[in-house]
Amino acid sequence: MASIADFAGAQPPVYHQERESKYGLSDWLTTVDHKKIGILYGISGLAGLAVGGLEALLFRIQLAQPDQHIFVGDQFNGLVTMHATTMVFMAVMPLIAAISNYFVPLMIGARDVAFPRLNAFSYWTFLFGVLLMHSSLIFAEFPAAGWTGYAPLTTKPYGAGGIDFWWAGLAMLAISSMIAGVNFVVTILNMRAPGMTLMRVPVLAWMILVVQFLLAFSFPPVTVGLILLAFDRTFGSVFYETSMGGDPHLWQHLFWLFGHPEVYVLILPSMGIVSEVLPVFSRKPLFGHHAVIFSGIFIGFVGFGVWGHHMFTSGMGPIADAAFAVTTAIIAVPTGVKIFNWLGTLVHAKMRLTTAMLFAVTFIPQFTIGGLSGVMHASPPLDLQQHDSYFVVAHFHYVLVGGALTGLFAGAYFYLPKITGRLLDETLGKIHFWMFIIGFNLTFFPMHLLGNNGMPRRIFTYPADAGWNTENMIGTIGVVFQVVSVLIFFYNMMVSSKKGAVAGSDPWDANTLEWMIPSPPPVHNFDFTPVVLSERPLWDHKYTPGFEITVPAQREEIHMPSYSWRPIIVSGFVLLVLIGLLSHIWALSVVGGVGIVVGVYFWVSEPV
Amino acid sequence: MTWSLPHFRRAVARAPGRLLALVALALLAIACNEAHPRNTLQPIADTGDISAWFYHMLLWVDVVILVLVMGVWTFAVLKYRQRPGDTELPPQDFGNHKLELIWTVLPTIIVIAITVPTVGGIFKLAERPDPNQKIIVVEITGKQWWWEFDYIKEGINTANELHVEAGTQVLLHMTSADVIHAWWVPRLGGKRDATPGRRQDMHFIAREVGTFDGQCAELCGASHALMGTRIIVHPPAGEDSYQHWVEEQQEKAKEPAAGSPEEKGRKVFLEKGCVACHSIAGVAELAPGARSRTSGPNLTHVGGRTRIAANTLENNVDNLAKWIKNPQSIKPGALMTNLGLTDEDAKAVATYLFSLK
Repeated sequence: MASIADFAGAQPPVYHQERESKYGLSDWLTTVDHKKIGILYGISGLAGLAVGGLEALLFRIQLAQPDQHIFVGDQFNGLVTMHATTMVFMAVMPLIAAISNYFVPLMIGARDVAFPRLNAFSYWTFLFGVLLMHSSLIFAEFPAAGWTGYAPLTTKPYGAGGIDFWWAGLAMLAISSMIAGVNFVVTILNMRAPGMTLMRVPVLAWMILVVQFLLAFSFPPVTVGLILLAFDRTFGSVFYETSMGGDPHLWQHLFWLFGHPEVYVLILPSMGIVSEVLPVFSRKPLFGHHAVIFSGIFIGFVGFGVWGHHMFTSGMGPIADAAFAVTTAIIAVPTGVKIFNWLGTLVHAKMRLTTAMLFAVTFIPQFTIGGLSGVMHASPPLDLQQHDSYFVVAHFHYVLVGGALTGLFAGAYFYLPKITGRLLDETLGKIHFWMFIIGFNLTFFPMHLLGNNGMPRRIFTYPADAGWNTENMIGTIGVVFQVVSVLIFFYNMMVSSKKGAVAGSDPWDANTLEWMIPSPPPVHNFDFTPVVLSERPLWDHKYTPGFEITVPAQREEIHMPSYSWRPIIVSGFVLLVLIGLLSHIWALSVVGGVGIVVGVYFWVSEPV
Repeated sequence: MTWSLPHFRRAVARAPGRLLALVALALLAIACNEAHPRNTLQPIADTGDISAWFYHMLLWVDVVILVLVMGVWTFAVLKYRQRPGDTELPPQDFGNHKLELIWTVLPTIIVIAITVPTVGGIFKLAERPDPNQKIIVVEITGKQWWWEFDYIKEGINTANELHVEAGTQVLLHMTSADVIHAWWVPRLGGKRDATPGRRQDMHFIAREVGTFDGQCAELCGASHALMGTRIIVHPPAGEDSYQHWVEEQQEKAKEPAAGSPEEKGRKVFLEKGCVACHSIAGVAELAPGARSRTSGPNLTHVGGRTRIAANTLENNVDNLAKWIKNPQSIKPGALMTNLGLTDEDAKAVATYLFSLK
């Protein structure tokens, strides 16, 4: 039987330009290595998870009992707004970006992404956007119009200065996401190893490919909406001002035309992770591999045609309501196909229930519950009751926490050993798992009942006689469970990355190319470019005679891109433009604009 | 520490029991819980019936699917484990076209089966009320953070408490004066957005006499949580009839007796500038030709309301005085001006207002 030890004999490639892996400050600031950028995204995402979780803990304390006065009015609204904005854009999205950055090139057998400097630019623009938005707490106050930012609550007469930081920060995140989308579409389509046909691309990389298309096409509408808002707030235009002929529904359509595909941006990568983790720990292939991929693509397409289901109460009229009800219900079909195929993978398996597998397995029922309550919302006569109630809060947390975040935890336990070279502690992992799952269900399952009992979302207090006391108290207790479990996870990561058991190249007996190289991988990833013969290249190398990956006799000659200051500098100029708009010091914006043009000129003329 | 099979098998064996115990405790606690005066599943009007019907229909579909998925899942997780020492590979099963076809086609049929009645329900809810029957027409305007109700035909302008007649069609024209609000009384039926610059209609026939609470469901600023509303369904006949209420409301405000505390309150009310935002029929009328809409609620019969500050406080002299003295202490960001009244003046105004039944 062949083994991955066969690859140890390969000669390292010949560098045309030496690139060492260093870890000083300037190395991080100037790096264009997809692995380092992935780590940066990962740390940012974990920091976002901590901040967003803290915000949730604070407003859950306010809601634990009726008639409390800990965070009232816009303090509470600000916490809710920042919790959602942080979790969506600064926790889950960067964690997905971390996995995409680190693992997509490894999975497809490439040495980096297609445009490494653009990749660095995406990261810095993202980070500056995050910092800009959070600086609202210092310079103004937290934006308090909800993460959906419905005009006219965001316009000048009703929204305080925090809203300016909100649109400016989001605009930077949008720029970052659109550019990253293009970068990864090009990478996955063009840089696959020889023999890796599209149907041999790992499911996770496939789902990430779909997500990149979603990013590239769904962020433009919301960016337009944000620019209109910026004009309304900064220059006094009237896009959302009804007395002058504007229309607040314009924002809702632009936002949800982005907002619904965004839901799939958040969940598809976790579906991909589950589709990778389940087969490895079941020791058999993914059931219906092609069906899982095609259903993901189908979800990506139909996801653009369902945004109106967020607006059933707005009065679009029965014909539009009916159309969006039908398209929304259709999405249940490909989603079901995925769930049934995961179940098919588990049947006749020989499961090893590691922490990664526990999270991946638990993803299935939790996501199913979120999907099924989504089927309820697809019916407008019922959605009129559930819209903006705690039933919806329960629904999207089952999808985004029970689904997306649970999938990302599976990914963390599965993939982190490749990044750090050391396994995470399984005992701490299991404590994390059980506390998290129990806490999550304690918090969010009773919210279905709260919604049925008429509790609207985003209210900072409620009367004692409304019948909502018990579920709210249980919910807050559940949040404490979740917070503690995530702290245990953080501790586990910090300790295990230094003292954990050494992982080796292939700790899980896995299927795909990233597990054939050392953990952590060398700068150039692969000593030689593997030729891919099947959808499970590494598994077949180990277990299927005739499918071994052969080591070429010749050393490869490679050219890795060098460090560059230019991405972070151009990104800084983008930030300067927005700071000028926020502070009304137009000179800053002009300097920033000129800086971008000059910076891009030097960027493209830089020898790499 | 590396993965050890016996260790986590023990953990796995113990943990579900704990989980179940916790969930059971939680459910028990919820089951023995308080009354649910805003239960969407106990509707009192035709629109609420439609929503509740869809809830139950879809709940059954969901429960069947969930039981199916959970059944296979539980069976697989319990049965298909790698036993210690077992190194043999399981069958390498890549999929099954027939199964893929079944679990694509069957859900499609289910989706069609639930979509057809859904579309029917959408158009049913969009039907206009029957013009040959009596219709109570009310214009609702959402404002930060209260509701204005205009009964145009009856000439009544009131706030926060909607009075209707059991068994009679009610047609609401909904809009907003500032940001988007949504009017929601859970037991009545679904909510509708009140959007500035747009009018949205909603109609219903309430069948149960009583008082039902609700509140704004669309985030509308600092005191969104305190933008309550209430619907009072009157019987068609008798002492408490809708017609009786209408006649009461059409009267001018009650005249206080000379020298009474109420009269002093009216004096303060007129002198301190309350009339800039509030009107009282017969006392502080709007200028001729002015729109009936006001930036603060019409107070002609404020004493007859059950609650004040948009269903936030019980209506009594003490609460009224507290509210008049410092509105922002009760509702964060409240737009009503704090006039800096003395305790005595606030009390006088409250006494006067409470007398306006």
